[in-house]
Amino acid sequence: MPAAIQNPRVLLAQWRLPHPFPPLHYHRRLYFRSPTAAAAAAANSFSHSEILSIRESLLSRSKKAVEIASEYLERLRLAEPTVRSFLHVAETEEVLKQAEEVDRAVERGESLGPLAGVLVGVKDNICTADMPSTGGSRILEGYRPAFDATAVQRLRESGAILIGKTNLDEFGMGSTTEGSGFQVTANPWDVSRVPGGSSGGSAAAVSARQCVVSLGSDTGGSVRQPASFCGVVGVKPTYGRVSRFGLMAYASSLDAIGCFGSSVVDSAIILNAISGHDRLDATSSKHDVPDYVTELISTDNMGSKPLKGTRVGVIRETLGEGVEGEIISSIQAAASHLEELGAVVSEASLPSFSLGLPAYYILATSESSSNLSRYDGIRYGKQVPEDELASLYGNSRASGFGCEVKMRILMGTYALSAGYYDAYYKRAQQVRSLVQRSFKEALDENHILISPAAPSAAYMIGEKINDPLAMYAGDIMTVNVNLAGLPALVVPCGFVGGLSPLPVGLQMIGAAFDEGRLFRVGHVFERTLKGHRFVPPTMALSGC
Amino acid sequence: MITSVIGFGAASGVAAARMAGWARYSLHTGLRSYSPSSRRLFCSRTYAALEPPNVHRLAETARISVSPEEVEEFTPKIRQVVDWFGQLQAVDLESIDPALRVDTIVNDNLREDVPESFDNRPAMLAAVPSFEEPYIKVPRVLNKE
Repeated sequence: MPAAIQNPRVLLAQWRLPHPFPPLHYHRRLYFRSPTAAAAAAANSFSHSEILSIRESLLSRSKKAVEIASEYLERLRLAEPTVRSFLHVAETEEVLKQAEEVDRAVERGESLGPLAGVLVGVKDNICTADMPSTGGSRILEGYRPAFDATAVQRLRESGAILIGKTNLDEFGMGSTTEGSGFQVTANPWDVSRVPGGSSGGSAAAVSARQCVVSLGSDTGGSVRQPASFCGVVGVKPTYGRVSRFGLMAYASSLDAIGCFGSSVVDSAIILNAISGHDRLDATSSKHDVPDYVTELISTDNMGSKPLKGTRVGVIRETLGEGVEGEIISSIQAAASHLEELGAVVSEASLPSFSLGLPAYYILATSESSSNLSRYDGIRYGKQVPEDELASLYGNSRASGFGCEVKMRILMGTYALSAGYYDAYYKRAQQVRSLVQRSFKEALDENHILISPAAPSAAYMIGEKINDPLAMYAGDIMTVNVNLAGLPALVVPCGFVGGLSPLPVGLQMIGAAFDEGRLFRVGHVFERTLKGHRFVPPTMALSGC
Repeated sequence: MITSVIGFGAASGVAAARMAGWARYSLHTGLRSYSPSSRRLFCSRTYAALEPPNVHRLAETARISVSPEEVEEFTPKIRQVVDWFGQLQAVDLESIDPALRVDTIVNDNLREDVPESFDNRPAMLAAVPSFEEPYIKVPRVLNKE
């Protein structure tokens, strides 16, 4: 059973570290020099971390990787009929074979990768060579890429075991996962509700503990909003932090690969594994990747004001009309909590905030109309055979794409039509400049900015499906961050809904490449949040 | 044993009393504004120079076949969204440089102009729907217009 779900008093008793986390010898990839000691130390100070608990179990020989993998596979299998997070699950023999390799490495005393034995789900718009990658679309049904995405390759090199590909809105276009060409994923907290989107499958899988961590992608909030709806931690890193090679492009100037975990530490570990420059992605950054985990303060050493000196700005425009009252209360409570921890909390304003939403949709639909022109039925994907080329294109694309994708391509085609560039695309880019500028000003005054990740908690399945603008409206909290390319972390901060509670996430936005600070603040916030445990009721259904 | 623990409600001693703006949400007309400046979200503005979207023409350009039913279904939705895009016309953007991309990237990501071989050609070719060694088979191309 995962060690993460325990009575908090028991956890406190386990923390015996008298001094700060010992310095780790690290390559890019965070290998422990003295595996047992450091891992045990890490596990003690972060015993809520599923990744570090697994590591400690393996190194102390108290559990085998095969046992852990079997537990997760079983839980996946039991929850799947209700939650439907996965489009493809890896073969059991393959998963156990990889787990056995980890066990053999442990026996031989070899050094283990930082994610050895960790089961990972990957959003299906990220290419995996050994599993189908459909992008959530019928047009790529059965498609097997010839390569792994760089992020996937780095996960494998770190020892992770890929357990399956998760469901998503087609090509990342959507905010509910109802736009998948295959199935609708349910929110583990209330299966009549959506998990959010577009990375709904990845969020639900971590929430239902079907895998330890998962990868998603975030173009306009597609990691952060599902993280909020499903009560898990979600990270959208700085644009260029993680290579986009192998991520099926939706809007190339906005896309980012992000990740989900059940704790801030786990998200930090997985982001470390996948970050860094990649020569195969011309937009990937050469900026140094710090060790995000060593920067985290162990709860032993937190003291009474661990966030002393941190300036937090609450974005005024995100707590007004159009946002549910209970969400506003949650965020205000979170702000008070941060203040109690020593942070200086004040109001921040982003004047061009509301313009970001139409600007985002102009840019995203325009770029997607270009990016999705590659799905022509010739080199890969579904083909509807015709006698003549234009009809082949037209019919293959028409039968493969879903409605939302078609509409966005058409809107983008319109916005980029000859003569319309000045009216739409160029103006949207000018608004983008304004948004970047206002973030910069706000982040000059504050270390981080906070806001809700969505104006409401999870909607009912089917609620928004006929009204595109209603659905787009829900992205208001998240799109500006993509326009500016900044990093953001969502941490569950509370619940709404009384008798049938639905989780709410707090979004924290930082300056470019300042993920370390976001993790530090998020970790302190998470560990000191009293009275909340974010484990959905469906966990009980799956017999755990 | 994992026990499923239902979490507590959200607020703890914080003055609430905000109107649930969401409660006034009308699915029919769509979103109510978040702030005064976005109250014009639903002003329908078409500018003289810009023709409204012709879904049929757009579909031809985008190489997606559309049935008459689809044109009927898509046209109002696309018009609604494009009208909503139009609100950017009203904003004063004089002397603002368009941002081509985020400013986090420094443009020195050039590599040597040396060709490299991809090592998994069989897998690439296996994905081609219509392949007759060594050609990717395509139907004839008709010259239209």
